[in-house]
Amino acid sequence: MKKHARLMFLIAAVLVVFVFLLAETVVVKIRTTNIRRDPKFTSPAVATIKAGDALEKLEARDGWVKVKTKAGVVGWLHSTAVETKKFDLLALDKTMKTQASAGEIALAAKGFNKQVEDKYRAGNAAADFAAVDAMEKVKPTAAEVEAFLKQGKLGEFGGAR
Amino acid sequence: MTARMKALASFALAATLALTDCQAIKQGAADIIASTGKVSREDAQSLVKTAEVVRSTFAEITEEEEYYIGRATAALILSKYKPYRNEALNGYINVMGTALAYNSDRPETYGGYHFLVLDTDEVNAMAAPGGFVFVTMGLVKRCGDEETLAAILAHEIGHVAERHGLQSIKKSRFIDAFKVIGSEASRQFNSEELAKVTGIFEGVLGDVVETLVERGYDRKFEYEADKLALSFAVRTGYSPGGLAEFLVGMEEHKPSGTAAGWFKTHPSPADRLARVKTETAALGAAPAKLDVRTARFAEAVENLR
Repeated sequence: MKKHARLMFLIAAVLVVFVFLLAETVVVKIRTTNIRRDPKFTSPAVATIKAGDALEKLEARDGWVKVKTKAGVVGWLHSTAVETKKFDLLALDKTMKTQASAGEIALAAKGFNKQVEDKYRAGNAAADFAAVDAMEKVKPTAAEVEAFLKQGKLGEFGGAR
Repeated sequence: MTARMKALASFALAATLALTDCQAIKQGAADIIASTGKVSREDAQSLVKTAEVVRSTFAEITEEEEYYIGRATAALILSKYKPYRNEALNGYINVMGTALAYNSDRPETYGGYHFLVLDTDEVNAMAAPGGFVFVTMGLVKRCGDEETLAAILAHEIGHVAERHGLQSIKKSRFIDAFKVIGSEASRQFNSEELAKVTGIFEGVLGDVVETLVERGYDRKFEYEADKLALSFAVRTGYSPGGLAEFLVGMEEHKPSGTAAGWFKTHPSPADRLARVKTETAALGAAPAKLDVRTARFAEAVENLR
């Protein structure tokens, strides 16, 4: 029983240390995006980041996170681009209550990657991945979106409340 | 090591590993357990593995996995409908859709949002997981102005933001997947595993495509997407009236026979309209429709055959 208690203590200690170490780190969960000077998409990009990059979280405001890269660049990212490496007991509780299947979805999707897509494509010639590739190539820049908003008197250019 | 101890240690480890993906930390955790002397190194390693499985049941689907499901779903939709070759129109809906996505609850997805007009007179709109949004030419023709088209794109963005497509995946797929990849942390499968996982992937796609194209979402998801559409459109600066206008038009053109396409996959327009009107009223002061937008919409759809 003594050994048992010691084991539990060690694990608890590790847990506490991780919470403190990782509380202010966010990890990029989307393929790539820009860190922006100000907390809005039409703001100039100051750095480009990719999936898996770890960033220091400095501040959070209105759905945006102020981050610092390893190179020391500071700027803003939308919160949906990152996940916080923090063990949030409240969020966990909420997930278990309201989204019973979320974990099951995670389990099923684990491993749905490029390798699986390639195998699927080999056996399903009708699925038109070339058309999807072409669809993905169309990606308006933030400047184009800003011009569109301006011309249409949308958002900050007149339409919003 | 007793079963009770294994279970306890496994649970504690699951909580610990939920904090990190770092291999060195996992190894460190295994070392700590082994250092107690009661547990062999192999036992300790297997505990870490068990803990990872527990951890994965707590996590949500990753953005990357959703992206691959979305890509294949889009590929299947594009095997049924061809893209409408009109660069100007596709450019217009992509910039409009991106503006709406910026103002949504989920502006960033793994591969980003992409919009495409489908070359068919059927009236329909669909969104594959991760942000592949389709509107048919028949639907674009039904829109009288930019506010209406914006409302439809915003509704589809709402489905993506709330991951409605993924929720149509049958539970049995998860059980099958668990059998194959439950304890496997590696990203590369051997050929036998790959065949099994690809089989499950096909099943998942079947569920999602059937819901998007044939069966339609649960009506509560449609109401939710309508509500989000109003919110995203207004945040972008559009009048919220576009959605109601579209639904009125659809009600007027309701087919008398068996419902097909959009009418089959969506709750009745009259039903949605009643809710949309209430929610629009609750928004209070909102932007007004502007001629400058209606004019550029007219220009974008001018050459639709």
